[in-house]
Amino acid sequence: MTELAQALVGGLLIGGLYVAISIGFSLSFGVLDVVDLAVGMWVVLGAFAAIVVSDKLGIDAFLLLPVIFVVFGAVGWLIAPLIYRVRTSKYALPALMGLAFTFGLATLIRGGLLTAFGYNPRTVHTDFFTGNVELLGITAPAIRVAGFAFAVVATGLFLAFLFYTRTGLAIRATAQSKENAGLMGIDVKRISSLVYAIYTGLTAMAGALLGAIYAMTPEVGLRYTLFAFFVVVLAGLGSAVGVMAAGLFLGVLQSLVTTYVGANYTLLVVFGVLFIALLLFPQGISRRGLA
Amino acid sequence: MSRPASGGNPYLNLGVLVLVVAALSLLPMMTTPYYIRIATGIAMWAGIALSWNVICGYAGYISFGHVAFFGIGAYTTAILMQPQHDWNFWATLPVAAVIAGAVAALVGWPALRLKGAYFAIATWALAEAVRELTTILKFTGGSGGLTTPIRNDDNFFFYTMLAAAAIAFAVCYVLLERSRFGFRVKAVRDNEIAARAQGINTTLIKIEAFVLSAIIPAVLGGINAYWITFINPQSVLNTIITDQLVVMVLVGGLGHAWGPALGATALFLLQEQLRVSYGETTAYIIIVGALVMAVVLFLPDGLVSLARRARRMRLVRQLIGRTRQEATP
Repeated sequence: MTELAQALVGGLLIGGLYVAISIGFSLSFGVLDVVDLAVGMWVVLGAFAAIVVSDKLGIDAFLLLPVIFVVFGAVGWLIAPLIYRVRTSKYALPALMGLAFTFGLATLIRGGLLTAFGYNPRTVHTDFFTGNVELLGITAPAIRVAGFAFAVVATGLFLAFLFYTRTGLAIRATAQSKENAGLMGIDVKRISSLVYAIYTGLTAMAGALLGAIYAMTPEVGLRYTLFAFFVVVLAGLGSAVGVMAAGLFLGVLQSLVTTYVGANYTLLVVFGVLFIALLLFPQGISRRGLA
Repeated sequence: MSRPASGGNPYLNLGVLVLVVAALSLLPMMTTPYYIRIATGIAMWAGIALSWNVICGYAGYISFGHVAFFGIGAYTTAILMQPQHDWNFWATLPVAAVIAGAVAALVGWPALRLKGAYFAIATWALAEAVRELTTILKFTGGSGGLTTPIRNDDNFFFYTMLAAAAIAFAVCYVLLERSRFGFRVKAVRDNEIAARAQGINTTLIKIEAFVLSAIIPAVLGGINAYWITFINPQSVLNTIITDQLVVMVLVGGLGHAWGPALGATALFLLQEQLRVSYGETTAYIIIVGALVMAVVLFLPDGLVSLARRARRMRLVRQLIGRTRQEATP
């Protein structure tokens, strides 16, 4: 019984980080109309950035989180216009080309990381949040609790920004209808860049935290891409509450599979659930616009 | 996008195919085994790129999991050729095709009803799941892989691969450019709602296209397993295979009959040259990724479009007209 409770709590804590990743991913899909297949690579890049800088400069990785947000936000800001350009190009099949473009981006990042760091797994080291937290007879690693707390704060701030600021309103309008948003005087291209920048920054920060919990190699990027996509499929695109529920569910699912079946089977189970979800809700999951 | 056929003349295209194959089949008499092996590799990649073009270029659905079918074919052949089963090599290929086709139908059935992004990631997940499965399962040899009986005959593999690629080309060409099936596939790609209004079962058409595009890499994968005599998840289920496919077709020309073969030749020679000069390097992955992005940004219709610039400009103008019409709801 404790084992089950342990697994459930551990899973929920990890799930928080999946929510933080997926919420930006979902919104950037809504605004840019392109699924960013590089999402997992932003996770890994964030983790590796934290590893390299904290090793080189001796600064604790956790103090670097704001820097990571700013740097990766800037990178995202620079890349977004390219995606926008592909998506709105006059060539045939722009949607397909958009996917190919982000796929190329993911491949480029993966190759770069492999060339720079090789295949060896690395972890983010931190001197904060070591040891365990105990509550009601359940122990959880402090780092996971910290990751969850971060995810709650980051997701909360992000949603507050979306729902209580004028820019947030513009973003939601763009996600609902680009043309009408443009007619209302919203600069759709600028909004797209902004959303993509926030999303890459947020994802890289979450990646640095995930890197402190799980070992990272350039190869695991794909895994996080699938996770983010899994969450969005289950949630229905654009549903913030759905993303939270699905992200936590994914964390619990992963934790249960790892505890009772074996970590090797995680992707197989995730794929199985994804398959069934696609089969059962072919229409319901393609809802769009942040509601 | 919907070019009828290059040149529009079926006899010309199939004639060119016959000429190319005839010229290539003389190759073993002229060159060294090294170049024979290069040519075998080109034939294999051209065939796989061609199969990817079926689902992506013609049906308009991007698949990031084609390596799964290649791997399924390779493993089917390798498993059936193990001493305890001891199948004849030729008998394993249809089995590989059937299994890959069945998997494609099973995955395509839910995923092809949806928008392209779902299909793209579902297939990507499929490739990962297949790789994970082969690593876990006993009869696939785990991460250690499998060996097949050794047949040290470069010419045999060259001719087999060339024949397989040529047949795949001919079948795809006839089916997609010269039959009602091809018109249906392209109709679904260009305007799914209108196609459905014409009474086309769009999901079925897409599944059929996907099955066709899965069978080819499975057969080539089977031949490849026998050729390289040792397979493991790292070699025949490596993500780089999909990466390479994407870039080959995009560089060559998406949705064009000859594009994939052209792209496959160019890319394979580039990869081989890199391997000779610098050894196996992960920098190759960077090049592949950068090439995909560059082609999408600057040359979305691939190399074939360079020679047909004037024609393309006309098509682009038509497409602008079409997208404008679509844009106004």
